[in-house]
Amino acid sequence: MSIALALSPLLAVGLGALLLMLVEAIGTKAGPVPGTFRDVRGLAVGAASTLFAGGAFAGCVWMYGVERIPGAASLAPWLILDPFTLFFDVLLCLGGAIAALLAGGYMPEHGLERGEFYALILFTTFGAMVLAAAGDALTLFLGLETMSIGAYAMTAFRRASARSAEGALKYFLLGSFAAAILLYGFALLYGATGHTDLAGIGSAARQAAGRSPLFILGAAFVLVGIVFKVSAVPFHAWTPDAYEGAPTPATAYMAVAVKAGAFAMLLRVLTLSLGSPAWTSWASGWPPVMATLALLTMTYANLVAGRQESVKRMLAYSSIAHAGYVLVGVTAMMRDPKQAVAGVLYYLVAYGVSTGGAFGALILCGSRGREAVSYEDIAGLGKRNPAVALAFSLFLVSLAGIPPMAGFFGKWLVFRAAIDAGLYKLTALAFLNSVVGAYYYLRVLVYMYMREPAAGAVTAAPMRSGFVVTALVVSAVLVLALGLTPTSYIDAAMSAAGVGASG
Amino acid sequence: MESPETPVFSHEDRASWQARLAVIAVVAALAALAARMSHEAVPVLGAVLIAALVPRQHGWTVRVPLAAMAGLLALFVVRMWPDVAEVADATATSPEGGHILSWMIALPILGALAVLVLPRQAEGAQRGLTLVVMLTTLGMSLKLLSVSMGRGFHFDENVAWIPRFGIHYHVAVDGISLWLLILTTVITPIATYASFGSIHARIKEWCFSLLVLQCGMLGSFVAMDLFLFYVFWELMLIPMYVMIGVWGGSSRIKSAIKFFLYTMFGSVLMLGAILYLAYDYARVSGGPPSFDYFELQRVLLPLHVQGWLWAGFTLAFVIKVPMFPLHTWLPDAHTEAPTAGSVILAAVMLKMGTYGYLRFSMGLFPEMSAAWAPNLAGVAVLGGIIYGALCAWKQDDAKRLIAYSSVAHLGYVMLGLFALTAASIEGSVIQMVNHGVSTGMLFLLFGVIYDRRHTRQLNDFGGLARPMPVYAALFVVATLASIGVPGTNGFVGEFMIITGTFASNMLGHFNGVQATGAAIGVILGAIYMLMVVQKMFFGPVSEKNAKQHDLTARELLSVAPLAMLIFIIGLFPNVFLSQIKGAAARVKDDFDSRIENNPPPMFYEGPTKLMPRRPEAPQPATAAAAPH
Repeated sequence: MSIALALSPLLAVGLGALLLMLVEAIGTKAGPVPGTFRDVRGLAVGAASTLFAGGAFAGCVWMYGVERIPGAASLAPWLILDPFTLFFDVLLCLGGAIAALLAGGYMPEHGLERGEFYALILFTTFGAMVLAAAGDALTLFLGLETMSIGAYAMTAFRRASARSAEGALKYFLLGSFAAAILLYGFALLYGATGHTDLAGIGSAARQAAGRSPLFILGAAFVLVGIVFKVSAVPFHAWTPDAYEGAPTPATAYMAVAVKAGAFAMLLRVLTLSLGSPAWTSWASGWPPVMATLALLTMTYANLVAGRQESVKRMLAYSSIAHAGYVLVGVTAMMRDPKQAVAGVLYYLVAYGVSTGGAFGALILCGSRGREAVSYEDIAGLGKRNPAVALAFSLFLVSLAGIPPMAGFFGKWLVFRAAIDAGLYKLTALAFLNSVVGAYYYLRVLVYMYMREPAAGAVTAAPMRSGFVVTALVVSAVLVLALGLTPTSYIDAAMSAAGVGASG
Repeated sequence: MESPETPVFSHEDRASWQARLAVIAVVAALAALAARMSHEAVPVLGAVLIAALVPRQHGWTVRVPLAAMAGLLALFVVRMWPDVAEVADATATSPEGGHILSWMIALPILGALAVLVLPRQAEGAQRGLTLVVMLTTLGMSLKLLSVSMGRGFHFDENVAWIPRFGIHYHVAVDGISLWLLILTTVITPIATYASFGSIHARIKEWCFSLLVLQCGMLGSFVAMDLFLFYVFWELMLIPMYVMIGVWGGSSRIKSAIKFFLYTMFGSVLMLGAILYLAYDYARVSGGPPSFDYFELQRVLLPLHVQGWLWAGFTLAFVIKVPMFPLHTWLPDAHTEAPTAGSVILAAVMLKMGTYGYLRFSMGLFPEMSAAWAPNLAGVAVLGGIIYGALCAWKQDDAKRLIAYSSVAHLGYVMLGLFALTAASIEGSVIQMVNHGVSTGMLFLLFGVIYDRRHTRQLNDFGGLARPMPVYAALFVVATLASIGVPGTNGFVGEFMIITGTFASNMLGHFNGVQATGAAIGVILGAIYMLMVVQKMFFGPVSEKNAKQHDLTARELLSVAPLAMLIFIIGLFPNVFLSQIKGAAARVKDDFDSRIENNPPPMFYEGPTKLMPRRPEAPQPATAAAAPH
């Protein structure tokens, strides 16, 4: 039973997903037009509460202390149950719950009310949670595929839209390639070391096997596969299309939860398998690779995001740029892993609630047939709907990294770790990048508050939905709490940062 | 009420005579009462009487507030007269409790939240609440005067905020920030009150922005923790950006974005430098990092590292001042901003740059500041004072002209800081206040005519002295202060800076040249400012201009206190300087002792080390792990 306790977050989400499918199949009533749609708003409540419950379970296990649960370590290396996993469980469940709440408002408004979406969110979250816990290449791959396939399906959920199909197809094809490369990489690593568990690969890497061509090639393939999921430049090409084509709750989900899951995978692999001194040194390891990726990702995404005409696409590029900032923190793991990982964890939470909130505010800006997508759509919103505009501004200001919002502390911790690791030039470039970033976030504010819609133009009419408002309130409270009273959250991130503790 | 063509014997006139008699009676009674109690009452009552009798066209609503202002200012001068103030020695401190500084920061934010909660239609309530909050803040800031500043820091509050990173909520005030704080609390209600005459759209957002802006400005001046300073520094940015972008002129969006990006660019580099400094401190001390100003002052860095950090800080401040060649955002921002925005921007926000340079660049990196002082002083004279004045001369747009005059005036302030003599630092600090008062007043006054004519072109005006005599008189007062005519405030600051520069030994062999250049700038200032007066007020009156009416009650009341301040600072500078003197001497001594120990040209090259704590620094917080 104690193992069940340790696994309770996973079990809650997994069983909840199964239950939700049953309820969807037999429990929902037919909608206003018989035989076409069903009234599935109850499922949104169900999905969100399942995910909140999963997060709550993770929190309880955290409070109790996972190391005090007998047998929790017995699942290692398949599933590593440590504070790192629990931290990600909470973050993923939070992201999933926000997405479910957003879907509860968005889907009926835009005529997409089908119950599968909620089951997909739950299963995808389940996959991401497995991914965060995985300490073995096999469970890691299982988790990755569970997560990815759900995300492909969610992207394609707007069947009537060509963009949705285009985005999903790109995502699916490139994602499958990346998964194959990742798998090939693990196969090579297995060939080089004889291990499939990440820690075993890592201990073998400390010996001679670590410098063999086979190992290096395998590690490179694995990193390419992971970095694809993180959507770092130059492996980002799918992101803008998939994010723009997907229904907005799915976009929010991908930007928050899928990205967080991918970073969990990256942190695990880098610390457990590639944590040896040779691999973490600047001369012979992955830090220069990560630094290059970080620089490319930040700079390219920030420059392109400023040129977008669609807010949704801008937010897609902004999520790429944020992946770049996180990669700065990942690079900083070369010197003091614990501090850098804590920074990355905090950043992911701060970025997650800000981005989730921003997509939610964007949902609230539009209504059926008039979805707010472009800058013109939100012109003058400050006058038409001041509350939404204010919330949107809050999230964007947080994303821009202006104190005292959550995003500022995220940047603070990550850049601090980078300075501590001696990455002065990279940090300076990251600082400059955040100025460029401020430009396009503020452009939204310009349109909302300082421009009026062109005469006679069709503007998006703000929608009303208790679900979306709930999601926004949750995100906004977290954005402010993380910014004003960061101490307890930083403490949590610090204690979760021992990635390799039980590996 | 403000009709210029009142018949000679109207009822209104008779009523105003009755009012005058009533005022005289009341005041005489009060005088008799007060003269028995204290000798202070005589000048105060004199001022009250004059202010109550002077305005010719206005009734009770103007006379009573004017009299109150004059009385309070006179009382202020009498009370703060140095001989009186010296008695209260700095060591025998009167109670400094009550968390005045925290309340001054918190009150605007609470007010902003309250404005947010008020219904959108209740514009009167929003306006009233904003003014009440700002006036209360002003009252609290005057309480700071109860302590003689001397060399040290006062009203110190130090509470752990994020103990893990050594981030504290640490606020304190010294002689340098004291007057800047009071300048802020004086200028914001004035600008706000004046703006209610011209801003009629989105009052709720307007009041909210103003209050948040005030909080950011006050916080920046008192923050003694670099992290806290950065938070407040950024907090100022968004409301000003919104104010320019929403309520500004025709190309407001471009100006707003330009303003934001320039400032943001500087501030992120400063953030990087702050981070590096804090963690270097941790490395040297072996303890947790610290963002405390007084702790970080102890860090002695090798010169090549100091150079980068100094550059990060200084760039942020120099952009904000702004100094040539980074000044180009200022004319655009000033031109497009609404009147109140221009006033606050010129009067207070530009001072963030000069204050920041004095407090942080010079306080934390004396060696590097000393090394660069001669070059930067040259930039301040040539690029700021001379070039700014020449640019101002060529402008046709009045707001642009005043903006360039700001570039020139802040060139003096920076020159005084670079020269680093006791006189020039004092002069710089008082000149920051002066520039706030006189340029704030110029922008306010120009806003008056802009609201009537909706043009900024100087050539559209002419002969305004005839229809608007009071306006013309006040404008000339502000002009003279801006030029620096003796008797006005501008003279005091410029004189001290120029004499201090002559005596300076920081500027290589060029101190004489630079002082001469600065003196030439005064002449140029007279040329371009008098050109404005001539173009606007004299010459033929066009038909449109002839129809303009003189100042309304609101306009007069918002300008009058600044006009009074111009003369008060100009005639009684010691009232102000006596508070600045100690802090300026402290800055100079700190600076000199560091330079003496690590003489140029190499200053210090070696491992980073920690110096002993300074006597004036407040005690470090004992409750480092305090729960709140």
